[in-house]
Amino acid sequence: MAYSEKVVDHYNNPRNVGSFTKDTPGIGTGLVGAPECGDVMKLQIKVNLETGVIEDAKFKTFGCGSAIASSSLATEWLKGRTIDEAAKIKNTDIVNELKLPPVKIHCSVLAEDAIKAALADYKTKNAETAAR
Amino acid sequence: MNYFEVFGLDRKLGIDQAALQARFYELSRRWHPDYQHAAPPDEQARALEQSALVNAAYRALRDPIARIEYLIRLEEGRETKEGAAVKPQAPPELLEEIFELQEMLQDAKAGGLDQASRARLVAERDALAARQREESARLTGPLSARWDDAGPADRRQALDALKRSLATRAYLRTVIDDLNAALEETQEDHVPHHRH
Repeated sequence: MAYSEKVVDHYNNPRNVGSFTKDTPGIGTGLVGAPECGDVMKLQIKVNLETGVIEDAKFKTFGCGSAIASSSLATEWLKGRTIDEAAKIKNTDIVNELKLPPVKIHCSVLAEDAIKAALADYKTKNAETAAR
Repeated sequence: MNYFEVFGLDRKLGIDQAALQARFYELSRRWHPDYQHAAPPDEQARALEQSALVNAAYRALRDPIARIEYLIRLEEGRETKEGAAVKPQAPPELLEEIFELQEMLQDAKAGGLDQASRARLVAERDALAARQREESARLTGPLSARWDDAGPADRRQALDALKRSLATRAYLRTVIDDLNAALEETQEDHVPHHRH
């Protein structure tokens, strides 16, 4: 199966690969997986605690080209968004942008799940910090 | 007609293999195209359909793990794994572990895989393979029995336990495959196995 040009581009030049220290304030971490193919994806956001804007995002994905491209694209889209805006990113947006075929849609779902998990993790930790 | 019904069985995972095989042979003979030459065309077509159904049903039910996968699809009313409405989630600590293993593998590969790191990967692989065998035994043993004994109130939970265990097994398999691929790649001029 041929990958689209955009998938190949993200696969060969993945954006924002890496990680943040989990326990730093403002960091939200999402770790998700797809048992169908065994892919695992870690996506992290770094949120400005005053403005609620995502200043940076990083990912590390062990999986197929589409999973890597989906998470790479997700980190690009996350930067500069507020956490509320970030929550609006849908897997279908990723499918359209990367022209993913039907058999690869689950890769985009995984990326959406990772975003949601990272946002949820940030909110939980932030609430804990605020409560102190 | 679902695959259990093809063989006149309830939706239970404990199946007598010998009885299943005997019933398969019997149904195969009954619907075999060779016995249908004299039949009118519509009956021949029906026999062909039945024959295909019997074969598909046997393939799905003869292997205890494939049987569990089929049961889950059937219970959730979906045809493919891709269409899973509720995704089976493996335990979060397993995801952490798999992620760390993949990182270790990546680092080991980047470092060129010397004797010591190869030995470590082999040890990891063997330990994971043992866990995968345990998980399979849990699936076909106690977890299958739990489904078979479940009353209406526990069916959901019994099915979820099967799904979690299948997911665990799938993650273990992928990482074992990746470890094997890395070990083979560095050993000889092996054509690497790539996912997808």
